[in-house]
Amino acid sequence: MLVVIYLAYFAEILPISFYLIFLKRNRGEGLWVIFLYCVLSLLTEGLFVLIQQQLVFSGFIIVQFGLFSYYFYSTFRQKNFRYIALLGSAVFCVVAIANFSNERFTWIAESLTSILIIIYCILSLYEQIKDPETVFVYRNKKFWVTIALFIYFSSTLFLYLFSTTLSREQRHMYWAINNFFEILKNILFSVSFIIIKDHSTPATMEYIDN
Amino acid sequence: MTLLDVTSPGNVSVVLFFGTIGMLALTIGLIVFIIFHQRKVIRYQMKLQKMEQDQQKLLLNASIRLQEEERQRIAADLHDDAGPLLATARLYLNENLVNLDKTTQLQSIYNAKQIIDDTIQLIRNISHSLMPPTLKNFGLESAVNDLFQKISGSGSMNASSRFHDYRERLQAENELIIFRVIQELVNNILKHSNASFIHLTQNTSGNKFFIRLHHDGRGITQNDFIKLNKSNVGLGLKNIQSRLKVLHGKIFFEKDMSQTYYKVTIELVKEEGDKLQEQE
Repeated sequence: MLVVIYLAYFAEILPISFYLIFLKRNRGEGLWVIFLYCVLSLLTEGLFVLIQQQLVFSGFIIVQFGLFSYYFYSTFRQKNFRYIALLGSAVFCVVAIANFSNERFTWIAESLTSILIIIYCILSLYEQIKDPETVFVYRNKKFWVTIALFIYFSSTLFLYLFSTTLSREQRHMYWAINNFFEILKNILFSVSFIIIKDHSTPATMEYIDN
Repeated sequence: MTLLDVTSPGNVSVVLFFGTIGMLALTIGLIVFIIFHQRKVIRYQMKLQKMEQDQQKLLLNASIRLQEEERQRIAADLHDDAGPLLATARLYLNENLVNLDKTTQLQSIYNAKQIIDDTIQLIRNISHSLMPPTLKNFGLESAVNDLFQKISGSGSMNASSRFHDYRERLQAENELIIFRVIQELVNNILKHSNASFIHLTQNTSGNKFFIRLHHDGRGITQNDFIKLNKSNVGLGLKNIQSRLKVLHGKIFFEKDMSQTYYKVTIELVKEEGDKLQEQE
């Protein structure tokens, strides 16, 4: 179990390193938001070890949602989807303000973040497959970021929903789910930072038929 | 009290386990579906592209074959008609060199002159078939009227045309293409339809230009046209299609509402050049 925890910490360094190594190919894709999230995530873990305050995680959840909302807002091409992102942010703000002093704030905010990000991911994937410029969706950096978030938040949704009903031992045991998908998310972020953006057109993709 | 609060602690593990597995399966399923769906769409697009390329190839082949046929026809006209005529004229002129009788000389010069006149007429005919002078000088309306008068004059068929809105001429090259299409259609009607009349009307609507041909013989419908276009036969129809492609035009073959006549409609969009010509 301890190995998974250490691996999860180590995995957070991966996307940061790959972003910095391949800085040139990650420009102009809005990926700096994901990079910033990875850096903040790593700093939060460190800060929590130092000061052991729940407030650190509460603050991080708000920043995390803000960053992901901004990422999706800036990558959505359809106006309607942008409005949905704005509406989602407004709902999150209202819920966050109303429950900030509540002891179950982390549970509420994290669950709401998961639900909203899953919705944004579905919208983003829909937009990507509808995009005529995209030849192969999986050659797109945005696709890998989206599936990283999609898999992470959908897999940990039930964990956050039930986190208040779990005993300390159970929470400790089930937190491996979070750690495992945290590793997977960081690997997928790294893939997104490593791959070269696809510039091919459908006409050059003749080998797909062979 | 929320739904989560009433879930008994024993069931939490089961709900959590199956919930997480279910969500993960849904997510991965969705991602796999997206990837496969996209590949399917790309394959479909490429299939369409290939079909279009094949069609283009067919049209190009038809156009090349037609060009070759036209060249052969001109070559045959020159070789079989103009060649012997000129050779005969040469013989008559040669006779002048050997025959010193004045009357015979005059007769042979007259014969040679007659033959040279025939040759001039023949070459004029070849030239007119390549580019009708009426079309060049007076436009599509006059050229079509001229063509239809000739058909009517032959007595085999009653041909008439009416241009409702052709005050301004189209670009010369566009007129030639339309004229060739009309010629090909009329030629097909004469050859295959056994019709007793052809009537052509011209109209415009906004920036669209229409030409309609009616006849009472055997004709083809749009389905037949598509089938013939995809097959190796129907060279003339492919030629029509490739000519109209240059003008971004459309052609529709159908039976009249009364189911008595066949109707062919050519639809073109007036280009910028045509509009400028109208303004001038």
